[in-house]
Amino acid sequence: MSTSFSRARRRNMGIAATAVAFVVFILPFLFTFLMAVKTKKEAALFLFSWPSEWHFWANLTEVIKARNYMLLLAYFNSTVITVAAVAGLVVFGAMVGYVLQRRPSGWNRVIYAGVLMGLMVPPAVVPTIWVLQGLGLFKTIHGMVLIQVAYGLAFSVLLYRSFIGTIPRDLDEAAIIDGAKPLAIFFKVILPLLKPVTVTLIVVQSIAIFNDFTNPLYYLPGKDNVTVQLTLFNFQSQFQSQFNLLFMNILLVTIPPLLVFIFFNRQIVAGMTAGAVKG
Amino acid sequence: MKLIPSAAFLSAFTLLAGLAQAETVLQVTTDGNAETVAAMEALTAAYTAANPDVTFEIENRPGGAEGDNLVKTRLATGEAGDILQYNSGSLFQALDPAKNLADLSDIQGNVIDSFKSVVTASDGTVRGVPFGAAMGGGIYYNKNIYAELGLSVPKTWDEFMANNAKIKEAGKVAVATTFGDTWTSQLFVLGDYFNVQAEVPSFAADYTANKAKYATTPAAMRGFQYLEDVFKGGYMNEDFGAAKFDDGVRMVATGEAAHYPMLTFALGNIKQNFPENLEDVGFFAQPGPSADKNGLTVWMPAGLYVPAASENIEAAKAFLAFVASVEGCELMIKTNGATGPYLIKDCALPADVPAAVADMMPYFQAGATAPALEFLSPIKGPALEQITVEVGSGIRPTAEAAALYDQDVEKQAKQLGLPNW
Repeated sequence: MSTSFSRARRRNMGIAATAVAFVVFILPFLFTFLMAVKTKKEAALFLFSWPSEWHFWANLTEVIKARNYMLLLAYFNSTVITVAAVAGLVVFGAMVGYVLQRRPSGWNRVIYAGVLMGLMVPPAVVPTIWVLQGLGLFKTIHGMVLIQVAYGLAFSVLLYRSFIGTIPRDLDEAAIIDGAKPLAIFFKVILPLLKPVTVTLIVVQSIAIFNDFTNPLYYLPGKDNVTVQLTLFNFQSQFQSQFNLLFMNILLVTIPPLLVFIFFNRQIVAGMTAGAVKG
Repeated sequence: MKLIPSAAFLSAFTLLAGLAQAETVLQVTTDGNAETVAAMEALTAAYTAANPDVTFEIENRPGGAEGDNLVKTRLATGEAGDILQYNSGSLFQALDPAKNLADLSDIQGNVIDSFKSVVTASDGTVRGVPFGAAMGGGIYYNKNIYAELGLSVPKTWDEFMANNAKIKEAGKVAVATTFGDTWTSQLFVLGDYFNVQAEVPSFAADYTANKAKYATTPAAMRGFQYLEDVFKGGYMNEDFGAAKFDDGVRMVATGEAAHYPMLTFALGNIKQNFPENLEDVGFFAQPGPSADKNGLTVWMPAGLYVPAASENIEAAKAFLAFVASVEGCELMIKTNGATGPYLIKDCALPADVPAAVADMMPYFQAGATAPALEFLSPIKGPALEQITVEVGSGIRPTAEAAALYDQDVEKQAKQLGLPNW
């Protein structure tokens, strides 16, 4: 009696959860898609309705060709920034986290406070630009990569540090007895074991960096430095927007993060629970 | 034998170097409005065709508050490029033009005086040239509804309200109201400024000097009263709290509503989304208490500026001189059509302008125009749009709203460090 009750209840919960997920995740996507295939006039009505005419291909080509194929350049720039910054975050985050966890010293508290400050204190724009100008890194792609690494490092250090706490020290000691040097221990023994949390970090950070709007806006001016989120301004302004093209652009910009998410889906869940075991 | 090729290389190299030196690339930053981009692309293409050694890179920036921050950040860090498109009037003053922008006083030959006054820095030098057409702030009306109900264009506010009553009786929305975009709520207050200054000519100066207040000047307070009247009459669309600017434009263009208080740039939107309704829409200045003192409140177009930190000030000025010439003005009209008068001497509008522009021209010809208050006084309270939404939704009565706006303005004036506050 009680089992059949709980089974029915579980089924109802499942249906409710699916419905909520549909409303929260699928409906906006559907709305974006429907807006993207409408004509300018129909899109300006902003209704959740079936398009009377399908303009998918015309809108798609217009968006890609806009401003001399700006979107393609933006894809390239965003991809370069995302890949380079995430690679930096994984390597440096894991290294710092490893040393912090394994080598207790008086400095640890100071370093840990610094990491926490990096997480909590918001960065100021104008002084950051002064630093970049002084180093000759302003308006360059590698300067932008360093900014993203700097902004994301605190989070990844915390994530790695807590995860490395779950890896037994015996592994390090065994490697030392076998004659491994510190770098070899880190890269050959520890880093492969960090795979679950690394996948989480890749997914979270690559989506955040790829979708970043304000940082490229301020730190990466210049026509050749455009990133995907900034291309939205081709079709949107305060007083007059071309909503069909804007939504087509949004659709195109959403696809890469979506692919990352689908590709790494299973590992993400594993990584999240793995990182949450011990603080 | 060996000397000849290397000499040839050398001469080729110097030639290339010479070319590279003569080549100037000007960095242009504009907002992302389709019309702005189209006009800028046409102007730069024509200029490069005439001067092949000067080329341009156009970059878009966001509008609104985000755009203000961006422009200020870039000016503060000396990275604003060579040419900057930005608002004139009080927003221009907020850029600290005397420090951040180059002096353009010597290329103003063709510019009409009324524009010069809104891009003049505190030291009296002119630092911008006009880019685009001047806009009128008034009321769009649907000509089909007017013809159907036998109405005539109102000259006074009472006539306007009488028209509204007849339109409501006929079962139509009288005044399209779009508080979903809060900035659209300010039009009755800001667009009334011609009528205010017709009655109190010294209002702008007294207001800046903290001698006149909205709450104590009946002529100025009327703008808030109008909002309340329209709400009390029930002349608005049902979804007035959620409707957006795009909805308001649609309503007046397609005849869902009879009136829409707005600036004339909305014509661009009608042209894009409802080209077949362009001739159905007319325009009149906001009516006031008396018919013979009625006129149009005008918004000045954006300006083009040269940041003081630019490395190509001379080349940028030469281009801006071209923009501010009759030739440049005609090029802009050809690209975007005429949505209002351009502020260049001897630059006439074509004969076949849209109906709403044709309705606006007589005000200019008769000299019955006045710049909006934000071009005459640096003070504009940041919360005006929230206050006008409250009044227009019947949440706050007129007198209280005017007093609240006076308080709001005080913060802004103190921030600007004006005397007497």
